[in-house]
Amino acid sequence: MMDEKFDCIIVGAGIAGLAAAMTLARNNMKFLLIEKGEFAGSKNVSGGVLWGHDLAKLVPEYWKEEDGGWERFINHRRLTFMDDQSTFSVDFKSSHFNEPPYSGVVVLRSKFDRWLAGKVQEEIDKSDYAMESFIATNIKVDEILMEDDKAVGIRTGEEEFHAHSVIISEGVNNLLTRQVGLQDDYVPADHMLTGIKEVIRFDQKVLEDRFQLNGLSGMSNEFVGYATDGVEGGGFLYTNRDTISLGLVAGIKDMREKQKSPHDILNTFKSHPVIQDTIKGGEVVEYSAHVVSSGDKRVMPKELYKDGVLICGEAANLLMNAGKAIQGMDYAMRSGILGAETIVKAKERDDYTSNTLKEYKQALAKSYVMKDINNFQDAVHMLHNPKMFKDVPNLICDFGRKFFTIDNEPTKKSREMMAESIKEHSSYWDLIKIGLKGAKSL
Amino acid sequence: MKLLDLPKRLGLVSYRNQAKSEIKPHIKVDTDICNSTCPHKCTTYVCPANCYTMDDEGKVHFQVEDCIECGTCMYACDQGAVDWNYPDPEIGRGVTWNFG
Repeated sequence: MMDEKFDCIIVGAGIAGLAAAMTLARNNMKFLLIEKGEFAGSKNVSGGVLWGHDLAKLVPEYWKEEDGGWERFINHRRLTFMDDQSTFSVDFKSSHFNEPPYSGVVVLRSKFDRWLAGKVQEEIDKSDYAMESFIATNIKVDEILMEDDKAVGIRTGEEEFHAHSVIISEGVNNLLTRQVGLQDDYVPADHMLTGIKEVIRFDQKVLEDRFQLNGLSGMSNEFVGYATDGVEGGGFLYTNRDTISLGLVAGIKDMREKQKSPHDILNTFKSHPVIQDTIKGGEVVEYSAHVVSSGDKRVMPKELYKDGVLICGEAANLLMNAGKAIQGMDYAMRSGILGAETIVKAKERDDYTSNTLKEYKQALAKSYVMKDINNFQDAVHMLHNPKMFKDVPNLICDFGRKFFTIDNEPTKKSREMMAESIKEHSSYWDLIKIGLKGAKSL
Repeated sequence: MKLLDLPKRLGLVSYRNQAKSEIKPHIKVDTDICNSTCPHKCTTYVCPANCYTMDDEGKVHFQVEDCIECGTCMYACDQGAVDWNYPDPEIGRGVTWNFG
């Protein structure tokens, strides 16, 4: 059985790998999906909101399932600027987002990926290769087998598995992508951030009341400023069924230079008076960490394909925060689908060389994924400018404090208050520069 | 809400192969580099699981048992001291997330 060649071997059962597997199963392909963890999702961590509608394409009407793999749908967005005492938020909630297909769902990956893998297995069972396609867990791929610089399979320990093609969806720490020569062996810290988070449990009623949740509705909240204690990055809070995901991402190079520890920054964030009120009475049930890329194109692999092999998801550093949302899982899903569709074409043509596989890159370039990554590079650079994670939040909170202070003295006009806040925390010239950059980048 | 220190946080993590006394380390660190030419020894503070520690004499030590496989050290170390891999499912350590 195992001596036979697969059409494709997928390395890694995260969202990219599972989306690819689902697509291959539906197209009657014979494949092997390999996961090093105990089960799909067991080693995966995200913030995390899965944005967009692709999940509905992958698992039609997933919302009808009583206890699907997702936690809550987002109908409430909040962006919060933070100084050491205050928060100033832009808040948007709308029943417009109440109907499926939802535009974003919060997930916990150990549960979500496992559920999605179950859906993939159902598709395998329906396919022509029900007995010959597999999801294999507890296997670590040590090497992509190359012949004449073409991928022909994988090696795990002493064992080899052969295939016409390989999809590498191994995640951000992309050792195999490096092994096949598509990314440098050492990736510097410049555009990489450490994400850490706590999952904090509440009585479900308390959680729903505190965050004004109704049924399975949920909130996503991003934080800029004090949340990262002067380090490049930002904080986040997402509501799950009876827990919240509270965490932050912090630039690795910036932490190195400023001698900061991510777990200390997380405690600083949690000590903020407003966050204290928000998480009161909760119990931490998990602490986790996961590296992410910033969305800066400079950290992407040199190429996303070569003969016999494609790179999907975070292994290709497809992730971006351009200020509107932190997107990564949706990019993983779309790239997995497009990668698998290219493999299906390769089988039809019996040509798994770059000649066919380059169409994956073309399809990705035409999709929203690369269009957004290309269009919003300026926004990514701007968000990682110290002005944005320090001076601007301080200034906004300072203005808020002045604006909302009523002390039975003659009140200044807002314009004057703003002028004072700007003088204290920045300069007009700096703000004009940021304003112009912002207007251009968004 | 009370803040948790790192040992308490790591106490919430489910590690694999905990019953095994001997495990195969998935990360190899050449601490000779850390302790001779490295100007910052940054792994001792950027690692979210505190796998890298500094003793009273300023020497860096590494243990793999608490590693949560995030990869931070692989990027943070620009001195070539960290040889990073994923843990072996059978004889390595590493994590199984309950929530993820």
